[in-house]
Amino acid sequence: MTAETDLRPAPDLRPAPDGPGGWFESRTGIRELAAALLHVRIPVEARTMYFGGIALFLFMIQAGTGTLLALYYKPTPDAAYDSVISIMSNISFGWLIRSVHHWAANLMILFVVLHLLRVFFQAAFKRPRELTWLMGVGLLGITMVFGFTGYLLPWDQRAYWATVVGTEIAGSVPIIGEQLLLLLRGGADVTAATLSRFFGIHVLVLPIALAGLLAIHLTLVHQLGLANPKKIDPMPGPPPSSARKFFPDYVLDEVIAWYLIIAILVVLASIFPASVEAKANPLETPPETKPEWYFLAVYEFLKLVPKLIGILLPMVGLAILTIWPFLERSPEVLMRRRKIVVAFATFTLVVGIYLTGVGLGFFTVPEFLHFA
Amino acid sequence: MEQGQGSAADEIREPAGAGEPAGAGEPAGAGDPTAPAPAAPVVAAPVVAAAPAPAPRTSTRRRFVTYLLGFSVVTTLALIAAPIIAFLVPPPELSAGTSGKVLAGTTADIPPGKGKVVAMGSKPTIVVNTEQGVKAYSAICTHLGCIVTYDNQSTSILCPCHGGHFSPTTGAVISGPPPSPLAPVTVIVEGDQIFLVGA
Repeated sequence: MTAETDLRPAPDLRPAPDGPGGWFESRTGIRELAAALLHVRIPVEARTMYFGGIALFLFMIQAGTGTLLALYYKPTPDAAYDSVISIMSNISFGWLIRSVHHWAANLMILFVVLHLLRVFFQAAFKRPRELTWLMGVGLLGITMVFGFTGYLLPWDQRAYWATVVGTEIAGSVPIIGEQLLLLLRGGADVTAATLSRFFGIHVLVLPIALAGLLAIHLTLVHQLGLANPKKIDPMPGPPPSSARKFFPDYVLDEVIAWYLIIAILVVLASIFPASVEAKANPLETPPETKPEWYFLAVYEFLKLVPKLIGILLPMVGLAILTIWPFLERSPEVLMRRRKIVVAFATFTLVVGIYLTGVGLGFFTVPEFLHFA
Repeated sequence: MEQGQGSAADEIREPAGAGEPAGAGEPAGAGDPTAPAPAAPVVAAPVVAAAPAPAPRTSTRRRFVTYLLGFSVVTTLALIAAPIIAFLVPPPELSAGTSGKVLAGTTADIPPGKGKVVAMGSKPTIVVNTEQGVKAYSAICTHLGCIVTYDNQSTSILCPCHGGHFSPTTGAVISGPPPSPLAPVTVIVEGDQIFLVGA
């Protein structure tokens, strides 16, 4: 106890094995880090359905294909449209890179939402994982802003008018609406300034923000381990007795899922390549201007109710969703013990799917539900 | 799922390992660096030891699966890399110059004994009005790519970067570091108009 150095464990100075691996190991100590990251045990009952990992993989694909597209894309109203056409027709595999970027964007939103629903219905957000949930909702928000900003970049009619309508909705938010609209558009109208803003946000701000939040999200997942959907988490408690290995068992399954995603992406990109409409014309709104499918529910909801409610209610809903772990505080994880919550969430989900179906033209809303 | 396969493979390997002489002290699959060391001593070893040892065939199936897996991984990476590499190669249209006849100026712009750099598409070209007629060369210095000018003092084509001098009549190097003459460009003079003909 006389000196602090007495208490420290002796540094591990194992003689490095021969060869480049040993050379690297003795200069980085990477093996210990890798072991700490990989040798995690997860409850056998855990059923993640690999949604979160797939969303992560899709983000990696977006970073790769997005960087490639940025090499040829020109973010000015005069050149953007032609540069996208050139990517689709002149550059080798340009159609593939752009179509994969398009489809991976849609799938990424889908899988982030599925991941959120899985965590919600399994009550995996409960103590001690409230912060993981918060970061996750932030990641969903960033993903949707990614979709919204990326949509404008081809500068065709669909892109232009979806942005006009989308920013107009943001402009209808009470009190701050007018300032928000100016801030988003970089002026009163959707112009070159808007394109520069959206491009900068899409390729610089959002990737860094998402990577940062993701790092925190994954660190928390690693530190807290996966939730057990069958048993209430002991906190603090011993590690689960019957557990699966994260590496290699879970990782192998995840990689198989990623392989399937690659196949799905290439098939979708080949059969339904990303399209381009006519070049943006600020003087002519095309008929049937609709946002992307993930905004359709809100879009249809706006048609049914007074404007203020249509804008405020989704915002309130999003706020409630964000702080949900602090509202539902009982430790129960089983669905049959969370009947009211599950019923309400299912109702909301069904309404959301129904309104999306309405937006896609599958259903029409009966007259008595029009409150606008 | 994976564990089941792993244990099945181990079962296949075990009797073969036991087939080796007990005193040899060499673990099964020692020749194969990818095969893991046997987890436990083989209990049945003394019994099976008498059987003839098919030693080289022990890990064939495991090795085959390993090769298959490696091949799949390499193929996947190649399939991902190939479109990316092709995507990075710029299309020919983006780097090409202009072809056809380009008006460079008039003899009034470039009187005898003078020179001028004009753009032929994206290619800078120097036009000089010499005693032997109007001549034109690529204005890109053959040394390190700077743009040459016509130097009135020395009446030669001069590269400002490293002082290379070229002959206005032939494009040949007079002095300095350029390794080769300037590439000539075809000139057509119609009346007082000077045209350049692109390749």
